[in-house]
Amino acid sequence: MSRVSSDERSGWLFVLPFTISMTLFFVYAIVRTAYYSFTEYDLFTAPSFVGLSNYTTLVSDELFLIALRNTIGFSLIVTTVQTVLALALAVLVNHAVRVRGLVRTVFYLPSIMSSAAMTLIFLWLFQRDGFMTAIVSTVLAYRRHMLLFFVGMAALQGALVLNARRSYEGVSIFDPFFLLAAAFGALALIVACALAGLLPVFDNDLLISWLNTQRHFLFMPVTLWSVALMNIFTTVPTLMLLFLAGLQSIPSALYDAAEIDGANAFQRFRHITVPALRPVTFAVVTMGVIGTLQMFDQVAILGDAAPLASRVTLAYYVYESAFPAGASSRIGMASAAALVLGILTIAVVYAQKSVGVKERAE
Amino acid sequence: MLFRPAKALAVAIMLLGLPALADETVRISGWGGSEVAIVNGLLTNVLAEKLAKEGITVKYEPVDGDFSQFIINGLSAGTAPDLFYVDVFWARSIFSAGQAAPVTQDVSGFSANLLEAFTYDGKLYAIPKDFNTLAVHFNKDIFDDAGVAYPSDDDTWTTLQEKLVAVHTALPEVDGLCIVPEYARFGAFALSTGWSPFDRQGKTVLDERFRRAFDFYTGLVKSGAAVMAADAGQSWTGGCLASERAAIAIEGAWIISALRDSAPNMNLGTVRMPKDPESGKRGNIVFTVGWAVNAASKVSRAAAKVAALLTTEEAQQWVLEQGLALPSRTGLADNPWLRGGQPEQMTSRVVLEGLSDDHVTPYFFGDVGGSWMQPINAALNSVILGEADADTALASAQSAFDRMLAK
Repeated sequence: MSRVSSDERSGWLFVLPFTISMTLFFVYAIVRTAYYSFTEYDLFTAPSFVGLSNYTTLVSDELFLIALRNTIGFSLIVTTVQTVLALALAVLVNHAVRVRGLVRTVFYLPSIMSSAAMTLIFLWLFQRDGFMTAIVSTVLAYRRHMLLFFVGMAALQGALVLNARRSYEGVSIFDPFFLLAAAFGALALIVACALAGLLPVFDNDLLISWLNTQRHFLFMPVTLWSVALMNIFTTVPTLMLLFLAGLQSIPSALYDAAEIDGANAFQRFRHITVPALRPVTFAVVTMGVIGTLQMFDQVAILGDAAPLASRVTLAYYVYESAFPAGASSRIGMASAAALVLGILTIAVVYAQKSVGVKERAE
Repeated sequence: MLFRPAKALAVAIMLLGLPALADETVRISGWGGSEVAIVNGLLTNVLAEKLAKEGITVKYEPVDGDFSQFIINGLSAGTAPDLFYVDVFWARSIFSAGQAAPVTQDVSGFSANLLEAFTYDGKLYAIPKDFNTLAVHFNKDIFDDAGVAYPSDDDTWTTLQEKLVAVHTALPEVDGLCIVPEYARFGAFALSTGWSPFDRQGKTVLDERFRRAFDFYTGLVKSGAAVMAADAGQSWTGGCLASERAAIAIEGAWIISALRDSAPNMNLGTVRMPKDPESGKRGNIVFTVGWAVNAASKVSRAAAKVAALLTTEEAQQWVLEQGLALPSRTGLADNPWLRGGQPEQMTSRVVLEGLSDDHVTPYFFGDVGGSWMQPINAALNSVILGEADADTALASAQSAFDRMLAK
């Protein structure tokens, strides 16, 4: 009996520090926020109870609705793309035999940079006549060259493989030696055509507004697409590491057995890797959803480099309401918006858990 | 028993040695940057003796980063300094919350425009410490190389624009001006037409006069007179002037300290804002900062005394002669230092004259705060980028104002 109670006591002692910090910074904060969300409060005069009026104002506030739409769109895009990319990168790195350590380090680099420094670098890359614009502009200028290269290479490769198959069995379509030869052949074709003046280069004086714009693409402002690109770039490596750890815990016997049964690489990936990684995928998706719904720092650092409506997210809306430039704090509105964001996050995570990726491996 | 007289004597000696007031410590705070040199200079070079005589110890705590947030947090938590900067842009949120003590000293020597900027509900809550207005700063060498006449005080929008186009034509790698899609610069043009941010009913109406200024400002890029600052890799008009990418910049006297670091050898000239060619008038925006006493301060009398000392004529003259800031006292407007030929003397003179332009309003937008500028900034941005035409952009700005000010 006394043994049990002593165990119990040490158990409580172990969780005590966490319980205290949780009560102080989470439970207390949430109760206070909930209380303020029903009041009008400017940090100085005593809060006055206003019932649900903050919430009704929120639903009719255009900026809040824009922020809500932006946040959901951003979360959807970034979570999906970063999960797929992280998995693909992890598989790639896992397969790299020779310089796995180097490849892993190089891929991980973007994640060790602070988000503030990264945003400043991207601000520069995203200038209207900056690096990103230069890439798009080059692709557009040489689009015919590229098209010809791919068509030429596919044709050459097809011809080489068909020719080889007449004499030998089992020549793969992606035979590496033939690929190299086809690439050289296609390159020679382009050089010849360009020298003969058959391939015009399109001069374009492109200026693309990546950040400072009010344009929309699909359901999201262009600015947020650019931020999404930056966000994916910085978070994919961390998620890749999680996937990589998961990949290394899959027994290789499963793959060997499948290979003997005649499963090809895609089938092995689809029926072994993906199901075995399910717990990791659940963690990655959940972290992605939470992180993207609460995205704040990158749009805050953008500042005046982009119009407010093109970059506002729910988290930023909360901040803007708490500390509006040159006006009194609207803590009531900020609290109401913060609660909406919190509830939205919990709801999405639970929805994800019940209809999306399951927590357990099959 | 024997010790009693000795004790009494010791106490008497101590009392005689004490200054008039009990020794009090006043915490004062403002933002960082060049302000630190001003306040430290004043405290050590000008006011040290006076403060000692008053028995006041000043503890100066400059803050880097967002000062308005720092002070709002500090005031609400009860940890704010006794005396602090207020910028006219956000001063209202402090005054209306009752966080600043009303000013009781005689303020007859200060410029009326500036006092009005810090008056709320008929009471003055801060002593203006300095101010700034907009002016045209230009690189004389660029104009000489291009063979174009310097900008002058007589320029109108159109003559200035012609000069900038001529510079860009002669020197294609140089642009006339780096513009920013912001009311904080564009506003001076809009005001010169006689347009006012708020009409008598407190509404914002983007009328014909506003439209004229808007078309001029947004047309600067198309005419070849200007480039978007962001496209030149800069965030403000002065950045382009410093890097010799642009021939002129529209800024306040703060440009001097920026140029001192980044382009110390620039052959700088400064003239007043161009006039509206139709009305022949000039407009300007006043940026001003004051000292406010914390209403909850335990040493409010000493804090008010420090504020008074920091803004005496002597103190302001010292600040002026260091080329650090412009005096809020009218008595210094014809100080001999301002008549000198050094670039910072010239710049200071012109910026000071901006205060008496025809249509001058403070950089302040009532209870709405800085978000008042959003619709105008968004309209400027979309038209300059070619994403919308002026009609659509201004119609959506007008409806944004109608919604914002209906609340």
